[in-house]
Amino acid sequence: MSLRFHWMLPKGGEVAVDAAQTPQEAARYRLQATSSTSPAPRPDMKGWTHFARSAEQAGIESVLISFSRYEPDPFMVACALGQDTEKLKFIVAYRSGLLQPTTFVQQTNTLSALIGGRVALNIVAGSSKAEQRGYGDFLAHDERYARADEFLAVCNCFWRGDGEVDFDGKYYRVEKGKLHTPFLAPGRSAPEVYVSGHSEQAERLALARGSCLLRVADAPGKLQPQVARMRERGVEVCLRLCVLCRPTREEAVRIAESLLPERDIPRQERIVAVKDDSQMYRESSAANGRGDGWLTGTLWAGLVPYHGPVWTTLLGTPSDIAESLLEYRDIGVTQFIMSGWPELDEVSTFGREVLPLVRRAEEGDEKRGA
Amino acid sequence: MSLRFHWMFPKGGEVAMKTAQETSRVLTTKSTSPAALPDMEGWTHFARSAEQAGIESVLLSFSRYEPDTMFVACAVGRATTKLKFIVAYRTGMHQPASFVQQINTLSALIGGRVALNIVAGSSTEEQRGYGDFLAHDERYARADEFLSVCNSFWRGGEVDFDGKYFCVERGKLLTPFLAPDRSAPEVYVSGHSEQAQQLARARGSCWLRLIDTPEKLRAPVARFRERGVEVCLRLCVICRPTREEAIEAAEALLPTDDIGRQERGILARSDSQTLKQALAVADEVGWLNRNLWAGLVPFYGSSAITLLGSPEELAEMFLEYKRIGVTQFIIAGWPKLQEMLIFGRDVLPLIRDAEQH
Repeated sequence: MSLRFHWMLPKGGEVAVDAAQTPQEAARYRLQATSSTSPAPRPDMKGWTHFARSAEQAGIESVLISFSRYEPDPFMVACALGQDTEKLKFIVAYRSGLLQPTTFVQQTNTLSALIGGRVALNIVAGSSKAEQRGYGDFLAHDERYARADEFLAVCNCFWRGDGEVDFDGKYYRVEKGKLHTPFLAPGRSAPEVYVSGHSEQAERLALARGSCLLRVADAPGKLQPQVARMRERGVEVCLRLCVLCRPTREEAVRIAESLLPERDIPRQERIVAVKDDSQMYRESSAANGRGDGWLTGTLWAGLVPYHGPVWTTLLGTPSDIAESLLEYRDIGVTQFIMSGWPELDEVSTFGREVLPLVRRAEEGDEKRGA
Repeated sequence: MSLRFHWMFPKGGEVAMKTAQETSRVLTTKSTSPAALPDMEGWTHFARSAEQAGIESVLLSFSRYEPDTMFVACAVGRATTKLKFIVAYRTGMHQPASFVQQINTLSALIGGRVALNIVAGSSTEEQRGYGDFLAHDERYARADEFLSVCNSFWRGGEVDFDGKYFCVERGKLLTPFLAPDRSAPEVYVSGHSEQAQQLARARGSCWLRLIDTPEKLRAPVARFRERGVEVCLRLCVICRPTREEAIEAAEALLPTDDIGRQERGILARSDSQTLKQALAVADEVGWLNRNLWAGLVPFYGSSAITLLGSPEELAEMFLEYKRIGVTQFIIAGWPKLQEMLIFGRDVLPLIRDAEQH
């Protein structure tokens, strides 16, 4: 099986359609995306369509559309953007405590039928306490996972489609549920479900109800046991990471370091403090103590203490990056969701410089295997 | 103010259907019905025709037999430029915050052309399939809280709410409701019960109800208008060159006994006061006045009360409703597209002409 590459959908106003954007400008945009003056809350069909077509051309399979109170609803965005694209798939992030599973399935199925089945789900149990309460969700971290488990159990019953759905749980109850609009996709009767998180509960949820665990990249050596556990149970692993590809390693490092804050940010101001419930953020906070932040020769966590775990960056020359990706494949990772500064330039570079190397190596391995 | 005319959006596959029988609820609720699937080709054709006919909005109905209304509005909205979408949704299914986020996003994607038709619930059986086990009256109390929270988000600022059904603490959403002249959607509240009327007055911008005779509607319409809430009537229309031809067309719509019996079964199981009242009217009288006929209700449901006659008669009837304070109509006909084209061509110009004088 070939590695599958996805990309983050840029936020509103992030894509500079007619102008050049430096990596520093792109990084600044992203850091300010939650401020009330950011264009991120507004849909940006022009920028998104431009990016989506570039991603299709680059050989990217899907875009992940994130969910937060600072952004438009990702389902609606996928519906609109799906009308303007042909191949690209949409991994829609959604939190499980916000609506009844029956309604959620009806929405997902409708979307699938409208855009040729090009939809997958990224189920998130929750975010910070403050944000969850703003959405009317007052459960604690662990309970959110128990609820997400029930939520996906009900959804999966609808997608199995073997008759009426009856469910009597702690968080959800459904009696003789039925929906006539099916999930419509070539070759599938249910969406792929990516479950994200670093906690034990997230891993259990992915094993029980998901098709793929989505987590932040780490050194292959560190990930290997977890990936093996997941693959044994038939669940894929997808890594979130940023990519910074340049003709030389020195140039890539120089640009990555230019994204560090100008002065050291006091610990309490760091984004880490905001996501109080998140295991992923606690881990990344601990990673801060590891000195210079190099997790491997190509994987750098130097930006993580300031901007959060998803700023973990794979950097170097095209062949450095291709080799690193193939190392992940060797331990069983099958998918990646990437991001860059700016998204548009980096996705094109990736498609032009890195992806052909990866595909060539995969073909070579296939031939040797045959 | 000019009268505002909206049309029922056809279900999947309906634009290609020729007879009323094919579009009946009895067939729509069968699992093999094309109503379950989006029909972008038929819908886009219908939507563009509606724009040309002078129709302001389409109402998208919500049920477990159909695709989700908000997504259909998004897809068809991206393929049109003027038409608005009145999206029916039930209030027990979402947290209000995520609901507002979806509506606001939709508004931004289709130039603000979205309004809401808030429904407290449907049959007990269908509600339970959606995970809702509240009784009829409680559903209205919940809908009241739901809209109250939604309205707080649309007013702007942080939202705090501590109710029986919903709690929100420092809620904020950065994507606003975006429309050329509004910061919140119009909210149509439907239902005939006292609770529905209270909800419409307290939280809505318009009460949506079935048509009745002007005499019977005069008092309730006046009560709403006094409180600054509009009234919109749901009805069907059959317009032909003469009243006799219209009656003939109407009677030709009477279906087989089979559909009648099954539709009666659906009506009898419902909790809705609206449906019960309409069925009683149909059984007792049939003709409500010279142009208003309930004869199709036992076969096609309560919204099949039909205004029929010549273009002049229909225009005069609409103007009569305008005189008692009704401002909007949501219309259906059989087949949906053809009747809408007749309305736009033969009836609407007469109304607009009269409104100018």
